[in-house]
Order: sequence, then C-alpha cells, then structure tokens
Amino acid sequence: MGAVVTKSAQNLLLITLGAATLWITVATDEYLNYVKPWFRWALIAAAVAVVVLGAAGLRREWHDADDHDDHGHDDHGHHGPRVAWLLCLPALGIFLIAPPALGSFTADRNSTRTAAPPAPDEGYGALRPTGGPLAMTISEFIGRSFEAQTGDPGTLRGIPVQLSGFAAPRPQGEGWYLTRLRMACCAGDAIPMRVIVHGAARPKTDTWVSVVGTWMPPTAGAPVTGVHEVRAQHTRPIKKPKNQYE
Amino acid sequence: MIAMTDRAGAGTAAEDDLYPPPDWAARRTAPGTRALLTFAALAALLVAGRLWVAPEVGGRALDAWTTIFVAICVQALPFLVFGVALSAAITAFVPPGVWNRLLPRRPGLAVPVAGAAGAVLPGCECASVPVASGLMARGVAPAAALTFLLAAPAINPIVLIATAVAFPGQPEMVLGRFGASLLVAVLAGWAWLLFGRGEWLKIPARPHAEAGRRWEAFRQAMRHDIMHAGGFLVVGGVAAATINVVVPAEWVTGIAGIPWAAVLTLAVLAVLMSICSEADAFVAASLSQFSPTAKLTFLVVGPMVDLKLIALQTGFFGRRFAVRFIPLTFALAVGVSSLVGWVLL
Repeated sequence: MGAVVTKSAQNLLLITLGAATLWITVATDEYLNYVKPWFRWALIAAAVAVVVLGAAGLRREWHDADDHDDHGHDDHGHHGPRVAWLLCLPALGIFLIAPPALGSFTADRNSTRTAAPPAPDEGYGALRPTGGPLAMTISEFIGRSFEAQTGDPGTLRGIPVQLSGFAAPRPQGEGWYLTRLRMACCAGDAIPMRVIVHGAARPKTDTWVSVVGTWMPPTAGAPVTGVHEVRAQHTRPIKKPKNQYE
Repeated sequence: MIAMTDRAGAGTAAEDDLYPPPDWAARRTAPGTRALLTFAALAALLVAGRLWVAPEVGGRALDAWTTIFVAICVQALPFLVFGVALSAAITAFVPPGVWNRLLPRRPGLAVPVAGAAGAVLPGCECASVPVASGLMARGVAPAAALTFLLAAPAINPIVLIATAVAFPGQPEMVLGRFGASLLVAVLAGWAWLLFGRGEWLKIPARPHAEAGRRWEAFRQAMRHDIMHAGGFLVVGGVAAATINVVVPAEWVTGIAGIPWAAVLTLAVLAVLMSICSEADAFVAASLSQFSPTAKLTFLVVGPMVDLKLIALQTGFFGRRFAVRFIPLTFALAVGVSSLVGWVLL
C-alpha cells in the first residue's frame, strides 16, 4: 500500500471504481441499499466516464510502450498522490463485505435523532375507507398520527391501516418497533421512522413484516411525545422489498 | 502525499507544471502487460471475495459502517466526476488571456469580480490552487486570484446543486453556503490587498499547454484530480461512517448540543477530512445530530481550508504565505458562517 501510484495503477483504479459502480447499478440492484432510486442514471453516467478515462489512459500507455520499447524516455510518467490508493476501499467494501441496506442496528443507534413529522405542506387529506385496511408508509402513518395527536383524533381513530417494515425490539416498555429507515439523500443520513406495535408477538429482529391494525390514541392527559403506536390485528412475514428505505 | 513541493525536476512537457512531477524512469516491462495482469488479479480477488468472503462477514456494526461509507462515496461520485471534468476542461481549453480581459484593472474591484467568477466557473479545490497560481503568473492581482481560489470550489453551480440534493427541501442551506462563502472569499481578498505583502507570496512562472496537446492535458488533469479528490473523499467517507457507527452516540449528541462546540468541531472536522467540495454536502447531511449552523460552517470551511489545500498552497505559494493566509481564511470562514447561520438558519 505504501507504493507510489504509477500511471498504470491510476488507470486501473479508475476502471475498478467504474466497474464497481456498474456492478451495483447495472448488474444488480445493490445501489438501492445506498442511494435513492432516481440516482441510478447519474451513477451509470459517472461510471462510464470513469471507465472510459481509465481505458483511454491504458491505451495511451500501450501505444507509448510500442513506440519507445527500447528508448529510455518516459515523459508521461506522473505519480498520483498516495491517498489515491484509498479509492480501492469502496470497491473492496462493495465486493468483500457486500453490505445490506441499513437495519435495526442503525435504527437503534440513531433513535435520538429527532425526526420531524414528515407531513407535506398542505397536510394529509382525509382517509377514504375502502373496506379493507389502508396501506401507507410508516412516514405517512407517523405524520397522520402526529396530526391526530395535535388536532382531530377522529381523522385516524378506528381506521384499519397496513404498514410494513422490519421488526426491532423495544428495550423498555411493551410492544416492539416496526421500523423503516428514511433517507433524505443517501444511507449516510438515514433516520429511523418507527411505530410501536402492541397486541402481537414480536417477530425476530430484522425480519420484514406487514402489520394490519389501528392507531392507538395517546392516553388521555398524556403530553404529545412523538410516540406513535398501533394495535395490531394481525401480522404476517413478508419478503424484503427491493428498496428497503422510505 | 502531495507531490507539489518537489517540482524542481519538471520541465520537459508543458503539462508537467500542472500535475505532480515526472516519475523517475519507468520500469521497462511493457506497462500494458503489467497493467492487464494486475487488473486480472484484482478482478479475481474481488470475485473470489464476493463468493467466499462476503457471505461470512456479518457483523451488524461492520455492515452498517460499510453501507454508510459506500453510500457516501457512491452518492458523491457523479458530482466529483462531472465537476472534475468541467474544471479540467477549463484548465485545458480556456486561453490564459481571457482572465486578464475579464477582470477589472483596479485590484479593489477585481476582488469581488473574481469572487463572482467563482460562482460560474466550476473548479475543484485541488484545481483551483494551480489555476490561481496561473492567474497570478499571468498578471492578475494576487488578491483577486486568491479570492477566486477561495470562491471557485465553494460556490460553483455543481457544488450548489450537490448541496441542494443533499439537503432536499432546505434551500436556505444552499443560499447560506453561497452567501457565506462568497463573503469570506471577498473579505479574504480585500484583507490580502490591504495587509498582504508581495514578498510573502511566491509566484511561480508557468507555461500553458500547447494547442495540439489539449486533449492530452484534459485527460491528465481529469485523472489527476479524480485521484486526488477521490482519495480524500474516501477519507471523508471513512470519518463520517465512523462518527455514525463507532463513536458513541451520546458523545456526538453531547457535543452537538453545545452550539459553539458544535460549530468548532465541524470546522475542525472539515479541515481534517479534506473532502472535495463537490462531495462534502453529503457528508455534512449525514452528520444529522449537528445544528444547521454547524453544518453550514462545515460547508464553508471545507472548500477553503483543509489538509490537502494547506499542502497545496504551501507547495505553490510558499510557507510564508500559507502561515498567514490559512489562519486568516479559517477565522473568517468560522466567523462569517456562524453569523450567516444565526441570521438565516
């Protein structure tokens, strides 16, 4: 690792970086573990640019090697800065560790990060009962629960909803957390969105479940605490979604 | 780490002055063959790793660390690549005379114009140091060139777009970054104009790339900048992932809870991490325990003062310049961004 970064090494680093990026965007869907879905095309474009740059450099070296095989001059040799070796690390991380989307570990660690209720500016419209449970994201449920806690509880009371996320234990108190991580931009800024589930056995940590239940209004007189709870009617395990973030 | 200081041996090709010095003699085995073999070995290592190592690795903390680290690198990559491409294009294709024609003669006036020029011309900070040195060599007032050096990496369109992407729904962060950075750059330029002395500054004489070799110069500039900026981006990603996963959450929230400590901590972190300005917004956004003002300080300080810039500026302009200019910039950056953050955020 202490070696200087020769030109060949620089070109190879570029190609490796591009190839790793193409791997997570074109060959697989792994980019969804890291960034928002729309970012795929920017990544592909950047990866292609980097690969072309590296390939052009290699081609150039080939030519130079052919031209000057037995002459001693080498006027193109530039060492890169040693810090460039670190560019190996993202590729090594992607291939050797293959990190999954963030789960209960991050949700638990970042629980102190206060998540503002993610309500749209115009507020949530009234729910229209369809007969069955209404599927919504955990963010929306939390937003509606916040509206119901601070405003009219009638907007959410008694309406069956369907939420999905991964299960995580609750260190104190009853019930367990149904969690989804929400990212603004990339996994680095993921904030847990979690709802306390009552009335159902806790699934194994990090298993994905769908919960059908109804909103639990806060006990009368209790201050609004940013705690959002649901009473489950039934839960069932589901397949991990392709995009595990909200 | 930074090869700019030992530039004495450079002198054959025109592009040498922009990038690290020429190698000592290359080994004589055909580089293509060697490259291919290395690449094959690396590819085999990665495939083998995916097949046999990845399934065995499963620590939750390690997984989370790697996810956050890779996410920051991946998110920043397109901004880095296209920012570097534009800045390399300017280095290689814009003729040197353009600058003198665009900037007013009076240095006091040239400073704000140079600052505003930074808002339209993309330049990675590693590129901005050689560009500013080239401007001085072509007769631009040092104060104006220094303002450009500070402004270009901080407030160019790519950086502002990256900031808007990293802070969705918070346009005041983009505005704050723009305003505070421009103010710091112009104030630093004026301060240099008033108090700076010519003998503190070493102005290197540099030729420009010849017309026929411009594409070659472009390619080399781009590769060099990606190597430089990419390496430091990885450093930033490692640090941010570590803060997210390893450093006890109570420490981080404890520091983040004290306003002045939060601002100073992120200012120092910005210096240590040395992240490229095209990428730093994503790191800042991931430090979600910190106040918006502290994050703004991080975004204003980072492109103007960091380890790699200190090394580059010392290499290009001399030690006597660096020990005066860098503390000046740091103090201005922290002061102005706290003020702007307090007013705006």
